[in-house]
Amino acid sequence: MFPVKRNTIVLFVILILLAVFGWAGWANWMYHRQQAERRAALAVKKSETAPYANTPASAADMGDIAGMPSPLVNKPAPAFTLQDVNGKKISLADYKGKALLLNFWATWCGPCKIETPWLVQLRDKYASQGFEVLGISSEGDGYTPADKTGWAQDRAAIQAFATQMKVSYPMLMGGDSISKPYGGVEDLPTSFFVNRDGTIVATQVGLTSESDIESNIRKALGEGK
Amino acid sequence: MKHRREVKRILIAAALLTLGFSAIAARAQSAGPLQRFDHPDQSLAKQSTAVEFLFPEQITVRAGKPSPVEMHFRVAPGLHINSHAPHDAYLIPTTLDVPASSGVRLLGATFPDGKDFTLPADPKTRLSVYTGEFTILTRIQAQRGNHLVQARLRYQACDDNQCMPPKNLTVAIDVIGR
Repeated sequence: MFPVKRNTIVLFVILILLAVFGWAGWANWMYHRQQAERRAALAVKKSETAPYANTPASAADMGDIAGMPSPLVNKPAPAFTLQDVNGKKISLADYKGKALLLNFWATWCGPCKIETPWLVQLRDKYASQGFEVLGISSEGDGYTPADKTGWAQDRAAIQAFATQMKVSYPMLMGGDSISKPYGGVEDLPTSFFVNRDGTIVATQVGLTSESDIESNIRKALGEGK
Repeated sequence: MKHRREVKRILIAAALLTLGFSAIAARAQSAGPLQRFDHPDQSLAKQSTAVEFLFPEQITVRAGKPSPVEMHFRVAPGLHINSHAPHDAYLIPTTLDVPASSGVRLLGATFPDGKDFTLPADPKTRLSVYTGEFTILTRIQAQRGNHLVQARLRYQACDDNQCMPPKNLTVAIDVIGR
C-alpha cells in the first residue's frame, strides 16, 4: 500500500509544480503585455506632445516615467503670474521662503481627481511648517484671452471641483500658458516640488501614491534626502 | 524494488519537467517584451496618435438621400478614451462633427456603448470608455459631386495613471454623391 501512496504524493507534487509554473508563465505574460502596452502608450504620448518635443522637460516628462531624473530638478522654478478662480493675481514670488507643490491638473482628468484628496490632506498636515500647494488648472483647449465663455465655463468647473473636493489651497487658472517654461506639461497630473529657495527638488508625472508625494514634500521642506 | 524504480522514474521525469519549464521561463525573462509579446496586430505598435481613423477613405452615396456610413476607429493599446456618454459630467465625451461647408451634412451619429472600466487606483469609480476598435454609425446626406469631407473626432485619452489634453482628429473621407 505504501508505494501507491508514495506515487500519489509524487503525482500530487508534480501537479502542483506544473500549476505553479503555469501560473508563473501566465503572470509573466501578463506583465510583459502590460509593459508592451505601456511602451506603445508612451510612444503615442511622445508623438502627441510633439509641439514640445525639443524642450528639455518634455524629455523629462517621458524620462520620469522611465525612471530618469527630470532636467528641471535642481533648477529654479520658472516664474509665473496667474489668476485664481476669484480673479486674484497670484505669482510664484508671493510664496518666497515657502516649500511648494505646483500641481498641474485638469477638471477632466480622472487620476487628478484621485490624488486631490491626498493633496488636501498633506497640505493641511504640513501647512504649519511653511508648505503650500498651488493647483494649476490646464483646460487643454487653448482658450484665447478673448474667449470669455470658455473661461467662464472653466472657472465654474474648477469652482465646482474645488467645492466637491474640499480643496483648501489656491486654485489657479490658465496652466497651459505656463506649460512651456515647465517643459510642455501635457500629461496630467504633473507635480513640481519646490524648496524654500525656489529650486525644483523633485517632479512627478502621473498618479503615484500619497506616500511618494509626502516623501517629495518632505524633500521640499528640507527634511528628506 | 519495482515500486521504488517507478518512483525513481517519476522523480526523474518531474526533475526534467522542472528543468524544461525553468529554461522556458528563463528564456522568456531574458527576451525583450516587445519581441515576444507584441500585440497580435503589429500595426498597433506603430500607431502614433491615441486614436486612429481606420476606414472608409472613400464612399459613394445617392445624392440628396440620407445614407448610412460606418466610421471605424482604433484606440492605441494601453490607452482609453471616454465614450460618447461618460458617467461623470466632468469628463470630456467623444464627439463627431462635420463642417457645414463640406457639401455633406451629418444627419445623425450613433455611438457604441462604452465599456465599463475602472482605474487600478480607484476601483470603486466606473468609467465608460472606448478601447481597441470602435465604430460610429453615421447618417449623412451629400450633394451631387465629389466632396473631400474633413470630419472631426474630438476625444480625450488617458492611461491608468495620467491623461492627455483633449484632441481633435481629422477624419478625411472622400464622399461621392451620385
